[in-house]
Amino acid sequence: MNVAEFFVNVFIFPGGLFAIMLGLLLTGLDRKIYARLQRRVGPPIYQPWLDVVKLSQKETIIPKTANYTAFRLAPLLGFAGMLAAIAIIPVTGIYSGLYQSGDLLVVLYLLSAPALALAMGAAASGSPYSSIGLSREISIMLAYEIPMLIVFLTVGMRVGMEIGGTAIFSLSSIVNFQLSQGSLLLDLPMLPAFLAFLICIPGILGVVPFDIPEAETEITEGPLLEYSGSGLAMFKLTGGLKMLVLSALTVALFFPMGLGSFWLVNLLWFIFKCVVIMFFTTTLIRAMQARMRIEQAYKFYLLFPTALALISLVLTAISFRI
Amino acid sequence: MGELLQNIVKKSPWIYRINAGSCNGCDVEMATTALIPRYDVERLGCRYCGSPKHADIVLISGPVTAVVKDKVLRVYDEIPNPKVVVAVGICPISGGVFRESYSIANQLDAYIPVDVNVPGCPPRPQAIIDGIAMAIEIWRKKF
Repeated sequence: MNVAEFFVNVFIFPGGLFAIMLGLLLTGLDRKIYARLQRRVGPPIYQPWLDVVKLSQKETIIPKTANYTAFRLAPLLGFAGMLAAIAIIPVTGIYSGLYQSGDLLVVLYLLSAPALALAMGAAASGSPYSSIGLSREISIMLAYEIPMLIVFLTVGMRVGMEIGGTAIFSLSSIVNFQLSQGSLLLDLPMLPAFLAFLICIPGILGVVPFDIPEAETEITEGPLLEYSGSGLAMFKLTGGLKMLVLSALTVALFFPMGLGSFWLVNLLWFIFKCVVIMFFTTTLIRAMQARMRIEQAYKFYLLFPTALALISLVLTAISFRI
Repeated sequence: MGELLQNIVKKSPWIYRINAGSCNGCDVEMATTALIPRYDVERLGCRYCGSPKHADIVLISGPVTAVVKDKVLRVYDEIPNPKVVVAVGICPISGGVFRESYSIANQLDAYIPVDVNVPGCPPRPQAIIDGIAMAIEIWRKKF
């Protein structure tokens, strides 16, 4: 792969500009559908773009107690992690991913970048509310990473056993396997793993039942409390990108089927799938549920998604043993 | 460019509430304007935010009591520029029923530049939304 192609992939087409646009579109759709579910008119779909432009024009206040370098660096770190993650995930018929082997593990690490960036910013801002948010962010991260890791392991094992006899953590192999053998979603032992991954998504995004680290009514937005202006805009962009990365990852892991060979049709089909995943994992749950307490969320993640993912793992292991 | 920026910016005002010793009547009305679907202010791009550092438009209710005066000024200073102040209810304008009480510092105007006054005890939700709309017009000219 040459250098020019690399830069286009990271900064313009699947990553960078395109991903930011699509991520903000997902956020806007989420807010609009959420408002319609409550029978409100709601903000226009392009509202997140307006918010980001406005925030970038506002004054940036840095607290006297803050560590300047870490405080300013944290939003960039999460943003960069998400940009790298979106450039790695393949999209059927349009883009084949940046690397050919082991990239699922890289995505797993990059997915923790926004949460760690938030924790870093919170620790650097020196506010007591932020430190409460920080401890909650880290606890919920510990809880959702375990089922997520088991889901990745199950998918890798299912595909790898069929192809070569060992687990494979290459997203392009997983996608190609499904394109030739049928999507993993239709495979009965994989269904619990799929559900477990869907349950993990609202926790990673930090939306309502699991927005405990940022609970604005009790700890006034927690880690984001001291951020204003461009830093806050960066966190908003990261939020949109996170939604896109998770939807794209779900599509790649469980139903990457394309529609024909024309790229535009494939692109629209991909966006449609992302919107459907976002609706069921974020908007609908956000409209129906109230916020949990941190220990309830911790228990929930260590109980239900972990159990579902383990069922899948055991079923997959048994089916290859016999 | 300036004109375009102002048109973008006016669609995204974020709201923050400060209770300067209010009896909670105006606060209930303010919560009503945003929280119930009927008077949905999110359609104007508004959003209630929990942190003063995210705010653009400040709604202040209540007569400024002697105890709370310094805290109000401090929270006001934490709001990044450009910002606009809306005084909600009769209390921040003149003290209302608490006027000339020993526990009232002074009217809000004496400490903070107030851009829009929304009188009433409490004001109707429509009046508060009208006040927010006027505040947005003032606020966008500051960019």
